[in-house]
Amino acid sequence: MGIGGEATAAAFQPPPGLEWHSVSSRLGWYRKIQVVGFGVVVVVAGAALAARVLPAGGALLAVCVLIAALLVGWLVTELNWRSWGYVEASDELLLTHGVIWRRLIVVPYRRLQFVDITANTVQQWLGIGTIRLYTAAATTQARIPGVPLADAVSLRARLARAGVARSAGR
Amino acid sequence: MNRPEFLPPVTGHPPAGPVRTEEPEPVGMPPDGDRPAEDTPAVTFSEAAYRLHGATVVLRGVGIIVVTIGIFLPLIHDEAFLITGFTLLMFPYSGAVFGVAALAWSRVRFWVHDENLVYQSGVLRRASRQIPLRRLQGVDVIRPLVPRMFGLAEVRIELAAGDRSELRFSYLARPMAERLRAALLAYAAGLHGGTPEATERRVHRVRMRDLLAGLLLRVPVMAGLALCLFLGLVWAMTKESGVAGGLAPAMLVLGREVGWPLVAWGRFTVSSSPDGLRLRSGLLVSRMRTVPPGRVHAVHIEQPVLWRAFGWVKVEVTVTGYGDGRDSAGVTLLPIAHRDVAYELVDLVFPDASLGTVELVAVSPGRFDHGGSGANDVVFVSRHGWPGRTIDVVAHERAQSVQLVAGPWQRARGRATVYLDTPSGPGRAALVLPVRQARMLVEQQVARGRLAEHRERPHSSQWQDEPAP
Repeated sequence: MGIGGEATAAAFQPPPGLEWHSVSSRLGWYRKIQVVGFGVVVVVAGAALAARVLPAGGALLAVCVLIAALLVGWLVTELNWRSWGYVEASDELLLTHGVIWRRLIVVPYRRLQFVDITANTVQQWLGIGTIRLYTAAATTQARIPGVPLADAVSLRARLARAGVARSAGR
Repeated sequence: MNRPEFLPPVTGHPPAGPVRTEEPEPVGMPPDGDRPAEDTPAVTFSEAAYRLHGATVVLRGVGIIVVTIGIFLPLIHDEAFLITGFTLLMFPYSGAVFGVAALAWSRVRFWVHDENLVYQSGVLRRASRQIPLRRLQGVDVIRPLVPRMFGLAEVRIELAAGDRSELRFSYLARPMAERLRAALLAYAAGLHGGTPEATERRVHRVRMRDLLAGLLLRVPVMAGLALCLFLGLVWAMTKESGVAGGLAPAMLVLGREVGWPLVAWGRFTVSSSPDGLRLRSGLLVSRMRTVPPGRVHAVHIEQPVLWRAFGWVKVEVTVTGYGDGRDSAGVTLLPIAHRDVAYELVDLVFPDASLGTVELVAVSPGRFDHGGSGANDVVFVSRHGWPGRTIDVVAHERAQSVQLVAGPWQRARGRATVYLDTPSGPGRAALVLPVRQARMLVEQQVARGRLAEHRERPHSSQWQDEPAP
């Protein structure tokens, strides 16, 4: 987190008087399920390959490497979900995410064209969803994953209302 | 009107008046250039349904037959028997082609109903499109070579609706096409469709020699020319036929980089009128585009390195409707012109922008690319690039969202990138700044967007509002 020091950290703060609203820790679990699912495939394939190609000691090493990778993956998911944050200011929605590449996106409500919520099977089971905000610009890429579904629905309703209230053309 | 019950209920029925192809009294139109407004009597597309010009049938039919002959003749050219058979077959075939073309033509009808343009067509599958004219993004009048010889023109309209968002009227008589264009733009502005055509003022005309010089004076083209010269010399000395093989692709590239733009942008004129900017261009296919005011999101000014000595620039704009899809390069506002002309034009696109007076603050003094940014109440300007140079101009009231991104390298150096998102097209302004300034810029941009929204826009507000309640 330390790269760039205070200045960078300050640049990604929420507007004065507001706090980042963090997403559900279940996003972390969702990411872990993804990592483990992917990890199992890699471990099995890696083990099969290692058994054929490498001598016995090498196979052990390969398994160690894969387990280390899983641990790193675990850590990354933990950092990832904690990096997400959003806040509803009076005229715009601010959101931030990213650990290595930090991003701050400001979407004025009057620019919103539509807002949608998606949740795949696993996300539904965890009770979280992804909110996407669409403006006329395809480059906007504003989404908030891991919002508890009930919150997501009310947030979408608030955004839609705010969008209509402040809309002027496009 | 033979099957009116087919029409969806929202469409309304064609007006009771007779179906017309032409104006009662066609008016002679002067050739390209400024056209006085008084010789365009009111056309009311809401009072009668109109057809395309009858000659469309002939042009379409002949076109299809020529293509058919072109495909089959090379296959059968050496067999007298086949040629006779083919010729005999062509008679009923031509009849069928003309019949279908005539039928298709007879089914096309268009009129204006309640600020909507209704376009009915189709032989087997009848279609009726209803187009809200308030959503109109631009109108083109295109005159391809052959229809032009018959005094015909095509009208093409663009809507902000993604795919299939254009509609072509091919072909109409030239005066009719002009009239339709004017009427559609008037309806789009919320005026009565019979409003006489707005008067226009020529802003700039690109001289042919400037265009040619500009197209040649670019690094890839110069390199291509040098390569051609070199290969030609080698060939002259060695008479090695393989060298000619290398010449062909080089010539192709030159044709694409110089020949095609020359034909497309020849006789380029920009005029301004109350209903928008009018861009005329084209040597073979002459095209007139109208970009209504308030439809432009961003302007992108490019300056290839060799143009800098002359102060020449190229100007492109991002317009909804254009830009995403068919014409991914956006609309070229000026293929080549002096910087001052370009600035003047930007002021027309974004009223009160006065681009020339915007002071650009260097991102980091002494940097080799002289990158900088600045803003006033209307626009945000950023300049970057080296040795070629790019200036992006985004209107505050048009910017969609603002992003601040800092990657690991940038963070180590205390920097971040600010992006202003505009609808797709050539203009996405990005600026690398010290991180504290970057965040300040984000806040400033958001505040400016908020202010611009509240400012009065007497000139262009008509264009941006949704239909009035």
